Amino acid sequence: SRAKDVTMPAKLPVNFFSTRSPVIDLFRGQLDYADQLRQNSEIVLYFFYAPWCGQSIAAREEIEHVASRLSDQVLFVAVNCWWNQGKCRKQKHFFYFPVIHLYHQSFGPIEYKGPMSAVYIEKFVRRVMTPLLYISSRSKLLDFLSNYEPGVVGFFEFNASPQPPGYLTFFTSALHSLKKDYLGTIRFGVVTDKRVAEEISLVHSGSVYLHRHANTSLIYPKDIMNFTAENICKWALENREMLIRWLRPHGGKSLLLNNELKKGPALLIFIPYNPLAEIHPLLDEITKVALEYHKCNKSQAAEPDLQHVGDSDSPAFDSSVTDAHLRLSETFPIAKYPCCNTVVLPQWHSISRTHNVCELCVNQTLGVKPNKVHVPHCNFLEIEAALDSFYLQEHTFFQVISNTIECSNFLSFYSPFSYYTACCRTVNRHFLSFISSEKTIFQTPKVAFSSHGKKDNTQFSIPHIEDRNCFIPDLNISSTNITGLSCRTNKTLNLYLLDSNLFWIYAERLGASRSTHLKEFAAIVDLKEEVHYVLDQNQSLVGPTLENFIKNFSVLYSPLKRHLVDDPSVHFHEENVVTEVTTNTFHETVFLSAKNVLLLYYAQWCGFCASLNHIFIQLARLLPPDSFIVARIDVTRNDLPWEFMTDRLPTILFFPHQRKEQSVKFPEDFSVDLPNLLKFILHHSSLSSSEPCTKECLHKEAVLQQGHISHLEREIQKLRSEISALHQAHDQLEAQLSEARREEQRLQQQKHTLEKQHKTLQLHSEQLQATYDQKNQELLEMAEKLQELADASENLLKENALLRILVASRGGKLQSKDEIKEPLQSEQTLPEDNDISLSTATAASEEKRIDNTDTIETGHSSGNRTE
Amino acid sequence: GAAMQRFLGPLLCLWALRLPAGTGTAARGLDVASYRERVRAMFYHAYEHYLESAFPYDELRPLTCDGQDTWGSFSLTLIDALDTLLILGNVSEFQRVVNVLQEGVDFDIDVNASVFETNIRVVGGLLSAHLLSRKAGVEVEAGWPCSGPLLRMAEEAARKLLPAFQTPTGMPYGTVNLLHGVNPGETPVTCTAGIGTFIVEFATLSHLTGDPVFEDVARKALKTLWKNRSDIGLVGNHIDVITAKWVAQDAGIGAGVDSYFEYLVKGAILLQDKELMSMFLEYNKAIKNYTKFDDWYLWVQMYKGTVSMPVFQSLEAYWPGLQSLIGDVDNAMRTFLNYYTVWKQFGGLPEFYNIPQGYTVDKREGYPLRPELIESAMYLYRATRDPTLLELGRDAVESIEKISKVDCGFATIKDLRDHRLDNRMESFFLAETIKYLYLLFDPDNFIHNDGSDFDVVVTPYGECVLNAGGYIFNTEAHPIDPAALHCCRKRKEEQWEVEDLMREFYSRKKTKKFTFNRAPDHSEGENAKDPEDASSQKAGEKSNSKKSSHSLLSCPSQSFNSKLAVLGQVFLDNT
Repeated sequence: SRAKDVTMPAKLPVNFFSTRSPVIDLFRGQLDYADQLRQNSEIVLYFFYAPWCGQSIAAREEIEHVASRLSDQVLFVAVNCWWNQGKCRKQKHFFYFPVIHLYHQSFGPIEYKGPMSAVYIEKFVRRVMTPLLYISSRSKLLDFLSNYEPGVVGFFEFNASPQPPGYLTFFTSALHSLKKDYLGTIRFGVVTDKRVAEEISLVHSGSVYLHRHANTSLIYPKDIMNFTAENICKWALENREMLIRWLRPHGGKSLLLNNELKKGPALLIFIPYNPLAEIHPLLDEITKVALEYHKCNKSQAAEPDLQHVGDSDSPAFDSSVTDAHLRLSETFPIAKYPCCNTVVLPQWHSISRTHNVCELCVNQTLGVKPNKVHVPHCNFLEIEAALDSFYLQEHTFFQVISNTIECSNFLSFYSPFSYYTACCRTVNRHFLSFISSEKTIFQTPKVAFSSHGKKDNTQFSIPHIEDRNCFIPDLNISSTNITGLSCRTNKTLNLYLLDSNLFWIYAERLGASRSTHLKEFAAIVDLKEEVHYVLDQNQSLVGPTLENFIKNFSVLYSPLKRHLVDDPSVHFHEENVVTEVTTNTFHETVFLSAKNVLLLYYAQWCGFCASLNHIFIQLARLLPPDSFIVARIDVTRNDLPWEFMTDRLPTILFFPHQRKEQSVKFPEDFSVDLPNLLKFILHHSSLSSSEPCTKECLHKEAVLQQGHISHLEREIQKLRSEISALHQAHDQLEAQLSEARREEQRLQQQKHTLEKQHKTLQLHSEQLQATYDQKNQELLEMAEKLQELADASENLLKENALLRILVASRGGKLQSKDEIKEPLQSEQTLPEDNDISLSTATAASEEKRIDNTDTIETGHSSGNRTE
Repeated sequence: GAAMQRFLGPLLCLWALRLPAGTGTAARGLDVASYRERVRAMFYHAYEHYLESAFPYDELRPLTCDGQDTWGSFSLTLIDALDTLLILGNVSEFQRVVNVLQEGVDFDIDVNASVFETNIRVVGGLLSAHLLSRKAGVEVEAGWPCSGPLLRMAEEAARKLLPAFQTPTGMPYGTVNLLHGVNPGETPVTCTAGIGTFIVEFATLSHLTGDPVFEDVARKALKTLWKNRSDIGLVGNHIDVITAKWVAQDAGIGAGVDSYFEYLVKGAILLQDKELMSMFLEYNKAIKNYTKFDDWYLWVQMYKGTVSMPVFQSLEAYWPGLQSLIGDVDNAMRTFLNYYTVWKQFGGLPEFYNIPQGYTVDKREGYPLRPELIESAMYLYRATRDPTLLELGRDAVESIEKISKVDCGFATIKDLRDHRLDNRMESFFLAETIKYLYLLFDPDNFIHNDGSDFDVVVTPYGECVLNAGGYIFNTEAHPIDPAALHCCRKRKEEQWEVEDLMREFYSRKKTKKFTFNRAPDHSEGENAKDPEDASSQKAGEKSNSKKSSHSLLSCPSQSFNSKLAVLGQVFLDNT
């Protein structure tokens, strides 16, 4: 049909931006006109879109927002690059939309590849507008260089000529860098004042300087490389320092995190970031920690000045922390521990398996001016507070036998500005064995260290403060100092920043609480060890906490605990027959409950798990709830301690009551169905009655039998409903049956009538057969008669011929006689007449035969048709 | 191997360059609820116009506003859209349509129908509607789910297909006349998917009705295909069902083969069948070895493994979803992200996409609003909750509305290069595309039930737990409740066994050592019939059990780095 071939061309393009928008919308893809427009403006932003594209639609709003803020300086042109009649589609070939191109006069296109968010776009446009920052004074220079992101400074003297040689190249290289480095991490500045340039030892106009914090800064080697825009840009990119890096995944398929995290353990810091903001106090604080961490070579020329600039810039205490700390450690290494105490650990204490003596120091330097530290005596209350929080943290020590000293830093629970250090060591194994064998009083470990300790009077296994004035010089372990730590530890961290406005989802994946409104989070991810640590979210993310986090990670026996992500969306429902377990409820449900526990490890996405749901529900309904828990845990959303992890799903574990540590696994090669699960549980549950019966046992028995009774009652209930269902089905079948019977009867009747009809038809057919036979007979007879007639006529013909011959012979005789007898002529004519009549008769008979065969033929063909 | 390397050298480089840098994610999250409502509106726009202008024909012709019969003459769009109505929550319309179908659809018609399409659309649609009808408030009869009018209709339709399976190999013909059976002179060439896409519907039918014939023919066809795989473990595209000779020898995961692999996995899950799963895993190995390049799947010669077509087909986009069902989420996501770039280029997936050229293939530029990529997005979203997947949903809604919406419905895109439209709206648009889109935007839909909700139904065979989630979608997106398969004939025996065990439990006696019931192993009987194949299969099983100590019917746990594998980030294997 013709409708099949009906097609319809695509709809004509319409406005994508509103007509009142500051963005010029070339929705017919007029690329030529777009190029014309470019001549009128210094800075142009092209937004190439496809009207059907979701990402273009989402970005439209952002572009409009930027345009409304910058429309007086930048021309915004949107071009429909999809419509196939438009010039744009014909000339450009994009694999995705939208594409944003920027032009600075004739320089371009610079493609923007950053996040499709108005602030980021605006920031980038502004960078294109002013790729070079003018550095007018010494303080501005220091400001510029103190930034954690790499800075390139060019020195050009404008006194000599209006356009010093090389300046244009330098300017272009700044623009060029935006093409490569679309996040704009390398900043370009220009110095025109000779005196300012001297600060960074630039003497000649036209020299370019790359500032580095941890390594020596560089000057562009003009004599080796040509002074071109590309080269400068390349040189800066290759030699820049990456002390702390922003991670901004673009959303497409990418190996960014894979590549970065495979380099080693990484500290990911999530902070909300507005690229347009003038100041970023939190970011400054974090980058300062990063600078310290990477500062391996302390003989940096520019460093003290820069530090100074940083200090004077920041109004509050925040920035002075690391600084003060650093100086302190340099000048008075001992004074770091102005208030220390030796703590002797009781034997029952878990740390005591590895260490029996700890040195606890309270440090109040944080946030306070250094000179206040040298308070000669310690506040006893502070020490006790530190001790308390130390014991709260004790579980964080790994149980490793070691002779080394380990130090860990903890923020005090009581004061955000003080932290304490705990250094623990093992003192004399003989001593330990002596204690355990003789069970004598726990004594001060004089042998090893802390000779300042006086004898402990309490003498018992209560954690106690041993000495309030002791500090041990050799405890000044370098690992407690962040400065240059990255070079001293064998667990070097790479530091990364993520904008939590854009990438908070990664923080959530790592266990950031969803309820927090403050989107700040820090985690150390170790891909190789498949483990991550999270900075306590109850602490605010500030420099000192971050420092401690790094320090604690770096020590040999790290007190950090593997973070287990927990599914917060699960709430405990009493009515659920299958108990949902999470990371947080795992221990309580499985180990603390006085019941047998069957635990299913599952994941929602795993097809093999989901199809078992009904079996576990049936099982849970079957088992007596007062002695059994059927539980499950979604291991995609809930991390578990290593020993409870599983590598296949589903996995079914049974934790028998009273022998919880002896869990058994449901054998994998058996099909998971109700009878098998029951057998498995029965086999392993501790319901055996071998022990002699006491009163309690009797009670138990009674409870059990009560359970049995209620189970049976439930069964009866079930059977009853089953019976009623059967009745219903029976009725239904009955109805169907009677209907079928009626149908059968009807069919029977139909059959009868059909049979009758058949019989009459048979009769009729017999009659017809008879008539047919009769007719046939008649026809045969007719044929025979005709044959006879034919034979007769043939005889007649023969006779005729004979007669002719006879006549002829007679004629001959007569002729001869004629001459003799004339009067005999009349006699001769008579037999001639007779001859003629005879011949007509044979002709007629012949004609009749032909007619006959004709009728037979037509009769046959008509018979055919009736068939 | 060398030839492939040469061929793929430039290809890989091209793709490395073409990654869509800059398509960053919007800072704000997607408004899921508003997109859900837009999908609902799309459904009704198409559905109401079908009822108005096309019913009782099979399909709507959206440009001419009329209807036509395409795959038979059974109001196909209505049957196909039935369960979508329930997923959208429209109970009353569901009930009305059930009545309309019972009255109006007749399979005693002299029509040549595709065995494959009739099975997946009609049998599958009726089965799922039957199983969902109680949830939809339809008054069900006492024997439900083991009996019911829709089940009888499904059974009737399936019986019409059985004559096609009467071949020497057990592999079915492609076409059958619903009245007269296989036409004399019917071509014996059937595509692989047309042979191996029955087990989900037919096994369900057999379990519900108690007649094993359906499951038996489906299994036999699957086994014949398995026996005829090439030495390197691949299957071709078309096979002669009489002689078992491969007619088209292109091996891949797309058109002509796709749902065969899909049904091996889904059959294994639905029936807890190790044999089906081991078949799939073997194929999966061969597919990875020979057809996978840079997370794309190409077409190769089934005997040699050489690349025959470097194209991506729209139909292949189901693969990531299938991978996520068996726990291969990382690979699934990587392939999905490749496919997504093609969508971003055109606003749809062309039937064929030439990977090295980065463009459509001649005569294969259409996009008939297929569901496969959205289907994968739905499965993957379940597994990862990655917002990128919602973004695909957003893009699909925007594209389909902008490009293919016309006054009378949604029209097939004839050519993705210029978005010219065709006068057709396939029934899978309402059955699948809309359904998966809606489910992507509706995480609380009953279909996503993780087992926290369930129904208890009393049948003459005992008590059943139903609707506990884990629905298996057939290849036309008709959900089957796996619990229903345990509800009918076999249930009684199991119940007695359970009852015995419970008695033992309460009497606190452990009399005998327990013997577990082995997983059903259907290979035993078949092996005896075919000694040659039996030996090879047993050898295969042995090596299997040696290599992997774990059960075949399980997924691997997700790796640590999967925590961070969102927003386009992928991780390479540590090996």
